[in-house]
Amino acid sequence: MQASKARLFKEYHEVQREKTADPDIQLVCDESNIFKWTAFVKGPSETPYEGGVFQLSFSVSDQYPLQPPQVRFLTKIFHPNVHFKTGEICLDILKNAWSPAWTLQSVCRAIIALMAHPEPDSPLNCDSGNLLRSGDVRGYQSMARMYTRLAAMPKKG
Amino acid sequence: MQSKEAVVEDGEITSSVTVPDTEFDEWNNFGDDDIMQQQYSIQADEAKKVPFVGDKEPLSSLAAEYKSGSPILLEKIKVLDEQYAAIRRTRGDGNCFFRSFMFSYLEHIMECQDQAEVDRIQPNVEKSRKALQTLGYADLTFEDFFALFLEQLECVIQGKETSISHEELVIRSRDQSISDYVVMFFRFVTSAEIQMRTEFFEPFILGLTNTTVEQFCKLSVEPMGEESDHVHITALSDALGVPIRVVYLDRSSCDTGGVSVNHHDFMPVAGDLPNASCSSVKNIPFITLLYRPGHYDILYPK
Repeated sequence: MQASKARLFKEYHEVQREKTADPDIQLVCDESNIFKWTAFVKGPSETPYEGGVFQLSFSVSDQYPLQPPQVRFLTKIFHPNVHFKTGEICLDILKNAWSPAWTLQSVCRAIIALMAHPEPDSPLNCDSGNLLRSGDVRGYQSMARMYTRLAAMPKKG
Repeated sequence: MQSKEAVVEDGEITSSVTVPDTEFDEWNNFGDDDIMQQQYSIQADEAKKVPFVGDKEPLSSLAAEYKSGSPILLEKIKVLDEQYAAIRRTRGDGNCFFRSFMFSYLEHIMECQDQAEVDRIQPNVEKSRKALQTLGYADLTFEDFFALFLEQLECVIQGKETSISHEELVIRSRDQSISDYVVMFFRFVTSAEIQMRTEFFEPFILGLTNTTVEQFCKLSVEPMGEESDHVHITALSDALGVPIRVVYLDRSSCDTGGVSVNHHDFMPVAGDLPNASCSSVKNIPFITLLYRPGHYDILYPK
C-alpha cells in the first residue's frame, strides 16, 4: 500500500514538473484519491482521430507498480483494439507485458501509438478490425473519423 | 423422416436460443480486466500452497517426489545425494530463478558475514543504476527497487540496529512487498546488462525468440513472471559479478551406461570475483541452483 502511494506521488510530481514536455497528454490526478487518474490525449495527426481529444480513466491498485493500472477510454472511439461499449483497451503492456518500467505517462504515450497503429489481428471491436483486415482502409477511416467528430470534438455553435 | 428431424432440430434451436442469450451477454461483459482478476486469484490460491521460498528440506524429499518416476532421474538423485545435503524449493511462478538467487545470495552473506562481498557488489549495483539512466529509464521507475535491495543487503550483516535474523530473512523472502521488489530489482539489473551489451547478447536472443534485444528485454526480462533462460542468468551473473552454478536434473543420459549429473558454472566476465571467504575451495560458486526443466530451486552442498 505505502509503496504504491509513494510511487504514485513521485509520478504526480514528475507530471507537474513536465507539464509542458508532452503537449499531447494532460494527466490529472483525482484531488482526493491518488489511485484515480484521468488523462486527456490528443488524437495523433494523420489519423482519423486527429483533432479529437480523448478522455481516459485510470484505476490504480495498491499492487502498483507490480501490477498494471486499469485504463479505459471514456470517450467513444472506433478502433480495432478498443471495446466500443466499455472503452476497454487491448494492449499488451496493460496485461502480461506490463512492468514497473512503465509509468502512467508512458502508458498514455503507448495508447497514442496504438491509436496511430491499430492491430486488427487482435480486435476488441470486430467491426473495426474486419474493415481493416479486409483492406477497406477508407471504410475504417471514415467510421473512425465520424466517431471522432461526434464524440471527441467540441460541439459547434 | 427428414421432416421429423427438422422439427426436432427446430425445437432444439428455439429452446437453446434463450439460454445462450444470457450467456452471450455475460461474455460481452467478460473483459480482459476480469481475466486479469481471475489470474490474480489463481495466483493467490497457488500462494497458499507453496510459499515464494520454502523450508530447507533434506535431499531425500527430492527422491520421494520421483518414487515411481524415471529410473534415470532416480539414479541422478542418488548422485546428487553424494554431493548435496539439502534443497530449498521456490514457487513456480516464473520468478523462481530470480527468487532462488535472491535468497541464496542474501543467505550466503548472512551466514559468512561476508562484508567484503557487500562492499564488492555495491559498485556493480551503482553501475547498473547508471546503465539504466543511460538507457533512458526514469529514476522513479527503478529507484524503489534498488533501494529495497540495498536495504536487505545491509540488514543481513549483523551487529547493526537494522540487522535481521535468519528467520526474519525467510519471512521477508515470503513477504510479497519485499520479495517481489527484490526480484524486480534483479530484472532491472538483468535488462540493463543485456541492453548495454547488445552485440554480445543478440545472437543468443535470436536463438530464443525472433525479436530485437530491446523487445526481448521489454517482453521477457522486465515483466514479472517471465521465466528465465541462460541469457538472463549470464546477464545477472555478469552484471553483479556473482558466479552461479546450475545443476541440471533431466532425463538425458550418456550411452556408456554410467549416470552423471551435469552442471554449468556461470562465471562473470568481470575480474573482481568474490573471494568466497566462507568456502574452502576457490572458484566454486557459492550459489548453487537445481534446474529441472522449467524450474529452479536452491541446492545446499555438503
